[in-house]
Amino acid sequence: MAGNISAQYMITNDIKRQEPKTMQLILISVALIFFVLILIIPLVAVFVKAFEQGAGLYVFSISDPIALQAIKLTLITIGFAVVINTVFGLTVAWAVAKFKFKGKNLFVTFLDLPFAISPIIAGMIFILLFSTTHGLLAPLLNAFDLQVMFAPAGIILVTLFVTMPFIARELIPLMEAQGTVEEEAALSLGASGWKTFLLITLPNIKWALLYGVILTAARAAGEFGAVSVVSGHIRGLTNTLPLHVEILYNEYQFSAAFAVSSLLTIIAIINLVVKNIADWRIKKQENRS
Amino acid sequence: MPSKLLKIRQHSVIPGFGITMGFSLLYLSLMVLIPVSMVFLNSSSIGMTAFWETVSSERVLASLKISFATSFAAAAINVIFGVLFAWVLVRYSFPGRKLIDGLIDLPFALPTAVAGISLTTLYAENGWIGKVFAPLGIKIAYTPLGIIIALIFISFPFVVRTVQPVLESMDIEAEEAASCLGASKLQTFYKVILPTLLPAIITGFALAFARALGEYGSVVFISGNMPMYTEITPLLIRAKLEQYDYAGATAIAAVMLVISFTMLLFINVLQWWAGNRDRSV
Amino acid sequence: MSIEVTNVNKAFGSFKALNHIDLKISTGELVALLGPSGSGKTTLLRIIAGLETADAGSIIFDGEDNTEKSTQDRKVGFVFQHYALFRHMTVFENIAFGLKVRPSKLRPSKEAINGKVRELLSLVKMEELAQRYPAQLSGGQRQRIALARALAVEPKVLLLDEPFGALDAKVRKDLRRWLRKLHDEYPITSVFVTHDQEEALDVADRIVILNQGKIEQMGTPEEVYDNPVNPFVYNFLGNVNLFHGRVHNGKVEIGSLKLDIPEHAKKDNKEIVSYSRPHDIEISVEDEGKGFIPAEILFIRALGPVVNLELKRTDSGDYLEAEISKERFKELELHEKQKVYLRPKDFRVFIPEDYVI
Repeated sequence: MAGNISAQYMITNDIKRQEPKTMQLILISVALIFFVLILIIPLVAVFVKAFEQGAGLYVFSISDPIALQAIKLTLITIGFAVVINTVFGLTVAWAVAKFKFKGKNLFVTFLDLPFAISPIIAGMIFILLFSTTHGLLAPLLNAFDLQVMFAPAGIILVTLFVTMPFIARELIPLMEAQGTVEEEAALSLGASGWKTFLLITLPNIKWALLYGVILTAARAAGEFGAVSVVSGHIRGLTNTLPLHVEILYNEYQFSAAFAVSSLLTIIAIINLVVKNIADWRIKKQENRS
Repeated sequence: MPSKLLKIRQHSVIPGFGITMGFSLLYLSLMVLIPVSMVFLNSSSIGMTAFWETVSSERVLASLKISFATSFAAAAINVIFGVLFAWVLVRYSFPGRKLIDGLIDLPFALPTAVAGISLTTLYAENGWIGKVFAPLGIKIAYTPLGIIIALIFISFPFVVRTVQPVLESMDIEAEEAASCLGASKLQTFYKVILPTLLPAIITGFALAFARALGEYGSVVFISGNMPMYTEITPLLIRAKLEQYDYAGATAIAAVMLVISFTMLLFINVLQWWAGNRDRSV
Repeated sequence: MSIEVTNVNKAFGSFKALNHIDLKISTGELVALLGPSGSGKTTLLRIIAGLETADAGSIIFDGEDNTEKSTQDRKVGFVFQHYALFRHMTVFENIAFGLKVRPSKLRPSKEAINGKVRELLSLVKMEELAQRYPAQLSGGQRQRIALARALAVEPKVLLLDEPFGALDAKVRKDLRRWLRKLHDEYPITSVFVTHDQEEALDVADRIVILNQGKIEQMGTPEEVYDNPVNPFVYNFLGNVNLFHGRVHNGKVEIGSLKLDIPEHAKKDNKEIVSYSRPHDIEISVEDEGKGFIPAEILFIRALGPVVNLELKRTDSGDYLEAEISKERFKELELHEKQKVYLRPKDFRVFIPEDYVI
C-alpha cells in the first residue's frame, strides 16, 4: 500500500518539482559524456583490441596451454572462494543478523577489514606468515617441506582473504531487515533449528546469497594485486588469468593480452546482469512483504 | 548455555548462536586478525629508528604524496560526478537510464588488470583518447594524470551508490515545504537537499578515497612506475617485496594500514551518526 | 489444556517487564491479556509460548512443568501480531508447514496433510485462495491463514498476539466475532493479547488486566467492568469522570453533594477521588435540592441512540462527560449553554494514598 502512495507522489512531483528541460538535458548530457569516456570506451576497447589481429589469434591466445592452465587455476580458486565464503558468510550473517550481542558493531567492522586493506598489503601479510625464508611459520613449513607461498595454495589463501566480506555483507542487512519473526513462527510450529534455516531462512535470502556468490566469484577471478604478490609468476603453474594478462602485456603481446582480458570482461558483464536480476528479485520480495 | 554468554547477548529462541559465532570468530581470527597483526608484529621488531628511517625516506614520502594527491583528486572528481549521476538516475527519466544504472558497477566487476591495460592503451600518446590530447601537449598515460584517470575508474561507483538510495528515499515534502516557503530551486538544493545528502557524500568520498589509496592493479600499468614521479605507495611496497626488503615493505605497510583503519573507523562512525540522526528525527 | 503461570519475573536490562506474575487459565477458556503498551502482556504471552524465557518462575501445562521446554516441544499454536506468514510459500504450504516438518516417524501421510489443510481452509473460508502467496492477501485474510497455520498442528493451547491490531475497524469487528464463534465450536484453551478494552470485553471469557508488569485485576468482562478494583482499571476500561472530594463520618462530600460510602466509614477527613462512568450520571434541569451538582452544558453530540454531553461544573470548574438516552434527551429538551444539575447514580471512591495511578 505504501508503495502505491509513493508512486502517486512520484507522478505529481515529476511534473512540479523538476528543473527546466534545458537544465535537465545539460545535466544528462554531462553525465553521459563522462559515462562514455570513463566506462564505455575502456569496455569496448577490450573487445576491439582483442580482435585487432583477427579471430585466429584470439582463439590461439585463449587456447594456448599456458592460458588454459591459467583458466584452470582461476576456476579452482573461484571454487574454493565460493564454497568457503558461502559457509562463512551464512554462518557469520546468522550470528550477526539474528542475535543481539555486545560488540556487534566492532565485529562487523573487523569483517570489513579486507575491503579496507590494499591488495598489495593483503598479499604481503601472507608472505610474512608463510614465506619459507622470512615467514613466522617458516620453521614449521620447512620441517614438513611445505610450500604455500609462490604456489597455488598461496593464491587460494589470499583470494579467500580478499573475497571474505562479500557474501556476509550482502546477507547481513537483508537478514536484519527480515528479522526473526518467520523463524519464530517455524519454531513454534515444531520445526527444528536446522529445518527452520533450510525451509524458511534460506529461501528468503537466496537472491542475496546468489549475488554474494557472483561477487565473490568475480573478485576471485579478477584479483590481481594480492595474487601477484604471492604467486611468484611461475608460468604454467601459479598464474591466474589476470597475471597471465600482465605477462602478455609486458611482453608486448597486446592482442593476446586483450583476448584473455575479454574472457575476464565477459565474466564481469555476466556478474552485472546477475546483480541486476538479483536486485530486482530482492526488491520484488521486499515489496511483497 | 553458560551464564557468561547470556550476559553478552540477549536471550533468543533462535538456535545456533554459539556455533555460528564460534566458527565466525575462529575463521575471522585465522584469516584476518592474525595475518593483519603480522604487519604490526614485524614492523615493531624492526626498531624505532630503522622504522622511522624507512618511512621518512625521500622515495617513501614522495610515493605517499603522490598516492594521497591522486586519490584525493580522483575521489573529489567522483563526488561531483557521483552526485550528478545519482541525481540524473533518480530524478530524470531518459532512454537508456536502466542500462546506465546497471553498468555503474562495472568498475567493481571488471578485474583491475583489465581496466589497467585498457585505460593505458586508450590514454597513451597513440591511443584513441591520448591522440586527442597529445597535440595539445597533454600527456596522460605515464603521468600522475593517468593515475588519476585509473583511480577515477576504479572508485567511480562508491559515491553514486551511497548517494542514490538516500536521494530515492528523500522526503519529497521537505522540498515542497521549502519551495512553498519561497526558496528558489538553487536555495532548496543547497539548504535542503545537500545537507540531507552530506553524510552519504562523505561516506562515498571516504570509501572511494580509501579504495584509491590501496589500488594497485590498474595503476601499475598506466603510471609507468617512475620513482619520485608516478610511483604510488602500494607500488613501492611491491618493489620492496620483490627485492626481499621485507622490513622496509612492512614499515610502509604499517603506515598505510593505520591510515586505512582510521578511514574505516571514520566511515563506520559516520554511518552510525547518520543512522542515529535519521532515527531521532 | 490448562495453563498455570507461577511467580514469573522478566527483566530487559533494567526494565522490569514482568513482576511476580501468577495466573491460572482453565481448559477451554478464552482469556484476554489486556493492558497499555509496555505493560508486559506480549512478553507474558511469549513466555507462555517459549519464545522468551522467564528470569524466574514456572510455566505449567496440565500439571506438567514446561518451563525448560523449547518452543518446538510445547505444542502451542502462536499467531503473530504481523502474522509472520512465510512469504515464499503459498497459503496451502504455509498451513501444511507444521505437519511437513515433523520427523518422518510422526509425520502424517501426504494425503492426510492435504486433507487437514483443506479442512482448515474451509474452516477459515479460504478454500479458493489456497495457491495464493501471502502478499496477494488482505490483512484479514492473512490473519485467518495465520490462525489456520497455527491450528494445523492441533495445538493444545492457542496464543494470539494482538490478533486484530493491524486491521481496520470494520474487519476487526467481523474477525473478532468470528474468533468468538470459532472458539465456541472448538473450545481450545486460548489466550490473546490486546490493548483494546472493547475487544477484550467483547470476546473474552475472562480478562487479565496488566499494568507495568503486574496483574491489576482478573475476572469476567462484567466483573472487571462493573467492579474495577482500582483507579487504573477504572480508567482503562472505558470513559470515566473524576470527582475530587473529602470523606467525613462515612459520607463523601463532593461540592455540595453528600453521599454515603459505607466501605470507607472508618476513614475520616481524607482526600478522596470518586469515579463514575458517563452513563451513570443523572441529569436534571431543575435544582432538586441537596445532592445535585450545578453544571453548564458545553457541547452536545446527538448521533445514534446515545447522546453525549460535555459539561463544566459551575462550582469547581471541572469538566465532565455524561451519556443519556435519546428519549431522555428529548424529554429534557436540553441545549448547549443550558444550566443543569447532575448526580452520579453509581460511583466508586478511592483514597489516592492507597493507589498511585
